[in-house]
Amino acid sequence: MEQSGTPSLLKGAVQDLATGVASALSSGGHGPVSGDLSPAAAGADGFAPAAVRVLGADFLLPHVLAGTRPDAAELALFRQAVEAYPPRADAAPTVLWSHWAMRRTLRVLAPDTADGTTAEPRADWLELADWRTLTHQLSVLASLALPGADSAVARVAGKRNLDLARGFVRAVRRRDWLQAAGAGRWLSLLDGVPDTLGLPAGLDFVELMADGDPQVGLQVRAARRLATGALV
Amino acid sequence: MTSTEKVTEVIRTQDIDIDAALDPVEADGVFRDSRECAALAVAGGKGEVLLSPPTPRPKKG
Repeated sequence: MEQSGTPSLLKGAVQDLATGVASALSSGGHGPVSGDLSPAAAGADGFAPAAVRVLGADFLLPHVLAGTRPDAAELALFRQAVEAYPPRADAAPTVLWSHWAMRRTLRVLAPDTADGTTAEPRADWLELADWRTLTHQLSVLASLALPGADSAVARVAGKRNLDLARGFVRAVRRRDWLQAAGAGRWLSLLDGVPDTLGLPAGLDFVELMADGDPQVGLQVRAARRLATGALV
Repeated sequence: MTSTEKVTEVIRTQDIDIDAALDPVEADGVFRDSRECAALAVAGGKGEVLLSPPTPRPKKG
């Protein structure tokens, strides 16, 4: 199933980056940025910053989980993405939150260079969402699903864990593998998820059926990493 | 893809609305068939519980 409408070259660059991040989640390291992108994307006029903005805070996820500092090139590209694509005043909540998540990542990984704290965007839209919309929106914001990383979005996810479990099953049955993987990442972090969900087997199935989609692979590996704390 | 097409594609990509990628609409769903259900059973056949949704809660009111 087609997962999104992102134009092809940008989507390819996002997938290149996701492949590198997913690999790093398995190996414990993180390759150089230039190694994750095609020459067209990584060049001076390339769209690497846009691709990093789309991938969001997950670009540096291996470093966040391992507690390591990114190299200067990674940090520079990440900061460029944050600064080049600020949310508009009328931006959707997911756009606001993904940008907030990137700024939080900068504060965690490079506190000496980051700017000050930023107030959280509102999360009332998520509290009022039905369980289907909740699952879709949380999946889009899966980069916020991190151990010990509090946010209004994470608090809503914790309160609505059963709705999210129901949404995970729906996403699998609809063959929306990216949504299922993002929801699975949240569920791997939350308490009170029913054992009857069979989350580990479900994640295996999602990875299998996604047929190598790197963005799905990133979320599935992140979910396993959050659940076990080990390399996946 | 010719070089001209590639240049055109790059220019179009530079001009995209990032917000559309960051706030995607939900993809259309296609429910799986029985063969894939069987694959799921195999995937969960390691003694783990198969996918099942939580018990529905009573409706309020």
